[in-house]
Amino acid sequence: MRPPARARCRSAAAGAVLTLGAGLIALGGAAAAATLVINVQTPDGRALPGAIVTVRALDGAPHHAATPLHAIMDQVNRAFAPDLLVIPVGSTVEFPNSDSVSHQIYSFSPAKRFQLPLYRGKPYPPTHFDQPGVVTLGCNIHDDMLAYLVVTDAPWYGRTDSAGAWSTELPRGHYRVELWHPRLRDNETDLEREFTVGDADRADLTLRLSRPLQPAPLTDRPHSWDY
Amino acid sequence: MICLRKLAPDSAPRLSTLAFALALLALAGICRASTDWEASLDGRLVSSDANPSFMQGGLGTVRYGSDESGLQLGRARFALTQSIGEVWSAHLDASMFDDKDSSPVGLTEAYLLFRPYPRAGYRFRLKAGGFYPPISLENRASGWESPYTLSYSAIDSWLAVEVRTIGLEGTLDWLGTRSGHAFDAGVTGGVFGWNQGAGVVLANNGFSLTDRQTALFGRVGQLGDQPLGGAEPFLQFDHHQGVYGGFEVRYLDRVVLRALHYDNRATPQLDEASDQNYSQHTRFNSAGVRIEGDHGWTAIAQWLDGETTTAADDVPGGLSSWPFRAEYALLSKRIGRSTLSARYDRFVVDSIGADDYGAQSGHAWTAAYVFNADAHWRFTLEWLQVVSSSSSREEFFGGPPLLTETQLQLAVRYALGSSVY
Repeated sequence: MRPPARARCRSAAAGAVLTLGAGLIALGGAAAAATLVINVQTPDGRALPGAIVTVRALDGAPHHAATPLHAIMDQVNRAFAPDLLVIPVGSTVEFPNSDSVSHQIYSFSPAKRFQLPLYRGKPYPPTHFDQPGVVTLGCNIHDDMLAYLVVTDAPWYGRTDSAGAWSTELPRGHYRVELWHPRLRDNETDLEREFTVGDADRADLTLRLSRPLQPAPLTDRPHSWDY
Repeated sequence: MICLRKLAPDSAPRLSTLAFALALLALAGICRASTDWEASLDGRLVSSDANPSFMQGGLGTVRYGSDESGLQLGRARFALTQSIGEVWSAHLDASMFDDKDSSPVGLTEAYLLFRPYPRAGYRFRLKAGGFYPPISLENRASGWESPYTLSYSAIDSWLAVEVRTIGLEGTLDWLGTRSGHAFDAGVTGGVFGWNQGAGVVLANNGFSLTDRQTALFGRVGQLGDQPLGGAEPFLQFDHHQGVYGGFEVRYLDRVVLRALHYDNRATPQLDEASDQNYSQHTRFNSAGVRIEGDHGWTAIAQWLDGETTTAADDVPGGLSSWPFRAEYALLSKRIGRSTLSARYDRFVVDSIGADDYGAQSGHAWTAAYVFNADAHWRFTLEWLQVVSSSSSREEFFGGPPLLTETQLQLAVRYALGSSVY
């Protein structure tokens, strides 16, 4: 079988390069691979960039998480950079602080409760994320800092690009795709879909949200203002 | 007639402020932790046709009177935030306003902050020291300044002049946005002293629109000048602690809604020791909303309704009261480095049991253009016009009660520091 697709995400502000989908796992005895292309759209049909897509096999194929990786989430101009990462279970993330002011990162999300005491620069060893789930990150000093880590045990995962698309190579079979975005509304329903990759070389799937996203965080507000 | 004068300013409060600040720094110094600092210098070119302000012994409703047209020091400021261990920090904000306060440099805020990590979606904050109660929605820039205008609204100017928490404030927040929801919510409670004079400027001069912040334990007015004299809002001479309680609700980072009930619980009386400072029993309700939209739009509205009561001058055991109310609406638009803002203020102070002394009503328009050249340089042009009627104008100065005052300011501010970037 073909190796898994590799998605690369560059943190422009921090200059950090992150390998997102490094390893897939041999699915023993699987048939030849096909290309899966997923398009994510808002209710009005516009492309939705930055949505997290995870895919799991449903037809009894062994379930393997992707290979853990090492990622970097910097803090630049009182903002996390990047402010959204998707990583496989078992990955580690470093949280350097490139600002001239101190930060104090915390998460009380069930998937990972941790805190990094007040610091600047790069003083702490990487944090290990060993449970799947969404980890919401904040700074205990600067309330406007907000970021998300999606820790997944899915073999295939990634983020939609600027055209709202994400693709990977899959063996033929039956799958479930799940969708997540930081601005989903509480009662959003169309977040998962089952599909089959058949004999064709390419399978296309379009997911459209049923409700508009919540407003995007304000990014042009001076960081010195109170939140 | 009520005339408040402070003939023998007591240096004890200022010494205690200094001691408090030094204690904070000493405490900070023995701990290994980080320091953030900021310094700024704000110069003004002023053109004004207003009467002298309350600080100059007049009844003007803007910061600079006509005799202060020309170059002025808007504010020189130095602020320090020193972490103390992991979850404590000390905050000092020192300023000079060059307007004849009893001390050229004073602390507008000085407090310790306890900020433990959030747990299970909740976060607790404790402040101890001298600081602003959580009311203003426009004074969100460092140094409690407004990023929209130079002059604050009538409501927030009043807070700047004579309201401060000198005590403790606890806040419990539910961090919904950190747990998958669109809302945050919090409740706040405060216990304070040394604000028994809150309301003295309101009762004697009424509302004004200024950006002068009285230093903790500082003075308002000038010694010997009517009507305010050198009154001190930050005094305590009964044993009643003031209290306030309020709540705040936020929708994402777009909408903030605040409400607060405040009561300094002062006993209306004259300070026998100083023979000049009146205790003002001041209580009010305040509420406000700030909405930030896409494309740099911001709308803010605040409302204030309360009353201040003190011992009547000429009736033993009698009381004089000044119910007050103010509101404003501000609309602002950011375009790149520029911010355009307009605000409409309305205010009224009634007079009960004081022969109409201190009655005032008026409204104001403010228009401001702010250009942030970079993180260090800021240029602001502001036009402010206040139309007000004050019963005291005729009483003290023989002028007509109704007056229109216009102030035009060009401000240049340079800031530097570890938190300026």
